Amino acid sequence: MNFKICYMYPDVLSLYGDVGNVICLERRARWRGIDVSVTRMPIGSKESLSDFDFVFIGGGQDFEQQVLLEDLHSGRDREIISAVEDGVVFLTVCGGYQMLGEYYETFDGKRCGFIGALDLCTVGAKERMIGNIKFDCDSLGIGTVVGFENHSGRTQLGPGAEPLGRVLSGFGNNGEDGSEGAHYKNVFGTYSHGPVLPKNPAFADLILRTALERRYGSCELAPLDDTAELRAHKEMCDKL
Amino acid sequence: MKLRMIAAIMLCKLLRFSARILHRGGTAMPGRYALKLCPNLLTLLAKDVETVAITGTNGKTTSARMVEQAFADAGLSYFSNRSGANLNSGIVTEFVMNCTLGGKMKKKYAVIECDEAAAKTVFGQLKPRVIVVTNLFRDQLDRFGEVTYTLQVIREGILKTPESVLCLNADCCLTASLAGDTPNEVVWYGMDKGALSEPGKADLSEAARCIRCGEEYEFDYINYGHLGGFRCPKCGYARHECDYAVTEIISQELSGTTAVFNARGEANTVNLALAGTYNVYNAAGAMAAVCTMGLGTDTAVKALESFKCGFGRMERFELGRSGATMMLFKNPAGCDQVLNFLKGVKESFVMVICLNDRAQDGKDVSWVWDADFESLASSDGRLTQVVVSGDRMNDMAMRLKYAGVPEDIILLESDYEKIVQWMERQEKHIFIMPTYTAMLELREVVVRRTGGKDFWEG
Repeated sequence: MNFKICYMYPDVLSLYGDVGNVICLERRARWRGIDVSVTRMPIGSKESLSDFDFVFIGGGQDFEQQVLLEDLHSGRDREIISAVEDGVVFLTVCGGYQMLGEYYETFDGKRCGFIGALDLCTVGAKERMIGNIKFDCDSLGIGTVVGFENHSGRTQLGPGAEPLGRVLSGFGNNGEDGSEGAHYKNVFGTYSHGPVLPKNPAFADLILRTALERRYGSCELAPLDDTAELRAHKEMCDKL
Repeated sequence: MKLRMIAAIMLCKLLRFSARILHRGGTAMPGRYALKLCPNLLTLLAKDVETVAITGTNGKTTSARMVEQAFADAGLSYFSNRSGANLNSGIVTEFVMNCTLGGKMKKKYAVIECDEAAAKTVFGQLKPRVIVVTNLFRDQLDRFGEVTYTLQVIREGILKTPESVLCLNADCCLTASLAGDTPNEVVWYGMDKGALSEPGKADLSEAARCIRCGEEYEFDYINYGHLGGFRCPKCGYARHECDYAVTEIISQELSGTTAVFNARGEANTVNLALAGTYNVYNAAGAMAAVCTMGLGTDTAVKALESFKCGFGRMERFELGRSGATMMLFKNPAGCDQVLNFLKGVKESFVMVICLNDRAQDGKDVSWVWDADFESLASSDGRLTQVVVSGDRMNDMAMRLKYAGVPEDIILLESDYEKIVQWMERQEKHIFIMPTYTAMLELREVVVRRTGGKDFWEG
């Protein structure tokens, strides 16, 4: 078995320790004897997305998002949409999550068009939403997820996207409707840094299993000793 | 107005005195109340003082102490905010402690370390003769937001004091951009191409693209992080030639660094008693500031050579059989510098890592995943045991596990007293890496057992 990871835009979207998600999946696959390859795709890369099992996109600075738009709109957007529709597993965090939506509108009314792979849109606000977050992902069978959010964008989901979870503590998508993140086909979008996967091993394994099942039909993941992970998970659960 | 000032000074001195007899540090609180009584107190007090102000993400404290060393050597009458009280209120307290009840300053010079966020208000009040900006890296994103925001508040601070001479790190493309946006005279310092035989880890994550036009930079060389010879192929924004340049690092040992510093065309070989490439940058910035203040290069060189760091920055303690070194870590760039330094340690060693998530540390601990802890795992077994502690010790232990550090050499211990007892039993050298508030607490326990100084005594 070979698990092929694509790490998109590591050159501009790697600000809040989100690379930890890639490290986490790579380790958890290797510990189970699964081969892993990680391909970094910076701006300007021409490599095709179609052959990957999993695509990760993290968060970055607003300043650099402009640069990214040019790259996205030079054909990458259509490729991402077809990969999403094709069932490729995505984890997108914060800026990367917003980017899969329809558009981002700054608080003074300037709108930039995004990919439109997910039915959601984001409007900027002056006040940032910053702090630890806890949300419930029972519908995905992975229980409670904990992390850290830091965003000024308020995201509204359209009817075509389900929330990833319900906020138990923190702000989530917009601080109002109690939703956090989005789930569509095999795309998991979230505002949670932390990074989110290491401290939530059930979430990490859901992603790994979904990706491997898509390629190999069925997949049983061998259990791992998650003592350290669950200690960190529980500590934050108890704190919030 | 004068009455308000005198009342504020009296209140501040009284509060500070009370805090000291109660054995609280009391560095910020007295100034905070004094400012409520007299909001322009700092402007009034600072007008007769010639100040060097130092800001930037990493290296503020060390650079400030180096400048201070030169002032002391030169016999200047000066004071400084020694204990890391680098916000508005802490700086005010320090000025009040050095003035008479009538508001007359007793010292002519000051060395002031200034928090980046406080620079916006403090610079205009201090009107420093020299402002050093060390570098800009991402740090405490929960507090500052993005690094371009930090740059903006420093710029706003500088715009309020156009007469100040800026000493800017020419190798930091973010810091260097301050020169184009402000009317101030600029003195440049940095590390030239070829100075380092083995460059540190390049990490361009916060500065890959031109701050002016968004184009990707080209780099002739990178010393570490994004510090190096940058050039924008589109708009022409590029590294400026240095007035004070490190041209060659001759040797880098645990005990110190020997490097050639070119001061306005004159080469000086300097033996620093400090390890780490980042401290060579700190020394270059300090040299630029000292010389810009009108002290001779000789004074600067002598101060750099006699300077020994302290207060959690490469600070040595007599602990265990082989001693301990405390190395504060605060953000990915600083952490990578410490880890890079450990790569050069030849003997086997043990570690204590303490991760806190309080306001001064940054409430978001995600960044430990951006630092190269993988280098500890590939240390060929030189790291034999690591005690993990602090408010977020579970996150830290997990980071080490995923970095590939064997779980059976990771110990979790929340009690600092027990950690110090453990350190006393060690045969090998101990490297202690605490975040800021963990450093304050752990250092206090260490100092109590080894008989050092309390923090407000510096």
